[in-house]
Formats: sequence, C-alpha cells, structure tokens
Amino acid sequence: MDGRPKAYFEDVYEGMALPPATYGPMDRYAYIPIAIILRDTNPLHLDRVYARERGLPDVVQQGPLNETYLYRFLTDWLHRPWDLRRTKVRFVANVFPADVLTCRGTVVRKYYEGGEPRLDCQVWQENQKGEKILVGEATFTLPMRG
Amino acid sequence: MAPERKTLIGKVFPAVRYVIAEEDIRIYLPVAGEAHPAFLSDEGARAVGYDRRVIPPSFAPYIAVLGLLRAFDWAKDFYLDYKTGTAMFGEQELEYCRPLYVGEALTIQGAVADVYEKQGKRPFDVVQVRFTATDERGELAFRGVQSYILFK
Repeated sequence: MDGRPKAYFEDVYEGMALPPATYGPMDRYAYIPIAIILRDTNPLHLDRVYARERGLPDVVQQGPLNETYLYRFLTDWLHRPWDLRRTKVRFVANVFPADVLTCRGTVVRKYYEGGEPRLDCQVWQENQKGEKILVGEATFTLPMRG
Repeated sequence: MAPERKTLIGKVFPAVRYVIAEEDIRIYLPVAGEAHPAFLSDEGARAVGYDRRVIPPSFAPYIAVLGLLRAFDWAKDFYLDYKTGTAMFGEQELEYCRPLYVGEALTIQGAVADVYEKQGKRPFDVVQVRFTATDERGELAFRGVQSYILFK
C-alpha cells in the first residue's frame, strides 16, 4: 500500500524497471521487537558496545528485517499482497541504524504458468551509498485489464 | 577435528510445529510498516478476495527462520564449534502455494539437500536445507531452501 501506480500484465515488458521504493532511516529501536519475534537476543543486534568491540560501526540490523523491506517493495505495489509467488534472496552486506534502503527490480521474463500471467524479476536492495544489501529474484502475478 | 560436513547430506530434521501467533503479528505489523487492510481484519481480507485475515508475505521468511532454527542444533547437527567457528544465513528461496493466515499452525520439515565448500577471505561450508511447510490438513502451504554459511 503506497503511492506507486499499479500495473497490469499488459503494461509490463521484459527489461522494464519496477517502480523503486525507499525505506528509512532504519531505527535501532525496531530491532528489539524483531528480536522478540525471532526469539533471538544475539547482542550483535542490540548492544552497540558489543558490536563495536567486534569491529563493526554499530549494531547489525537483523537479516529478516532487511527482507521485510524488499518484500514490501513488491507486495505494496502488487494488486494483492499474496500475488507474490516466489522469492530468492542472497544476503550481501549488513544494514546499520540510520541506513536508508532503496529497493529496485527489473522484469526479466513475462509468461503464463497454468494459465496465470507471471513475471520473473531480478530484485535488489541497496543502501544510501549504493552498496548492495540483498540481491535476488522474485516471481509474481499481475491481473489482466478488463 | 569436526566430522566432514558432507556426511550431513540427506539428514532429515525432526518436524517442528509453528503457530502463526496473533501476538507475533501484532508486534510485527507496526515495526514492518505493513498496513494493508487484509493484514488487519477478516473484513479487510475478504474485501480483496481472501477467506480471512492473512499475514504479510514479508513475515514468511521469519517463519522459515524460526521453524528451522528450532529443528536443528548448530553444534550437534552442523558440527559448529562456537569457540572457533561462526555461522550466518546465506541464500533463502521461498515458493508460496497459497496465502498464509493469522492463527494457523504449520509443520516445518527440513532435510540437508547439499553441502559444499567455498573459499572467501577464509574457507567456509554452505549447508543447504530444503524444507516444506504444511498445514493441518497436510497440504503444502510453502516450501523453500535455506542456506547456512559455516566459517571454519
């Protein structure tokens, strides 16, 4: 649910860029509820002194929370959130508090599967320095006009 | 010395039951900024064609992580020595068969599909776990592959 205009299957072509979305700045206070959900109180995500003693600039945002924003980039734009069919994500770099994440994608294949219109896309997430955080693939369906 | 991790290929982990708890979703939605009406009420979900209140697809990776972490033990099952080794998540692939609903119980069953060594700044093993998440009728809700990176 965001302001990006929705697309229909007929509008989309191979090589087309998906409308990007930007999230942030990331908030370290979000890491506490995420730790509760994940039942994972690793101090690397919560204790900045612990993180700095290990050579990191600050606490590390939990990987699933990075994925949350890549998913939102897709599902906020889709007509219905569960029009998503598949994701494949590789974790490339860490996210830290105050980072701003931009998610982008490109359509690589337009086809039908079992009569359903489908799109395969390359997707990625980068920080404010342009460094890749997540890279991967996504498959989803878009409705036909009429 | 740790046993050769390649011997793990084919190892089947015990099935784990995971309930998509209302409490977890209530905590998650505002943190994640997930505000679609289908995530908030049965009425909101029905308005866009779902039977009842669904979870955001973005929560599915959490289910996979949580379910699998309860299924195995890093030290016993993956021969990870906490004194000398570290572990992190690698690639994750998820394929959805249908929407996931608030309150439903899933059974997550994983098995080691592959193990291979890679050379980065230092050598590491990649352990690939293939898993299914089935519902209470035994039907597939989603499936996936989760890789774990274990530094030597």
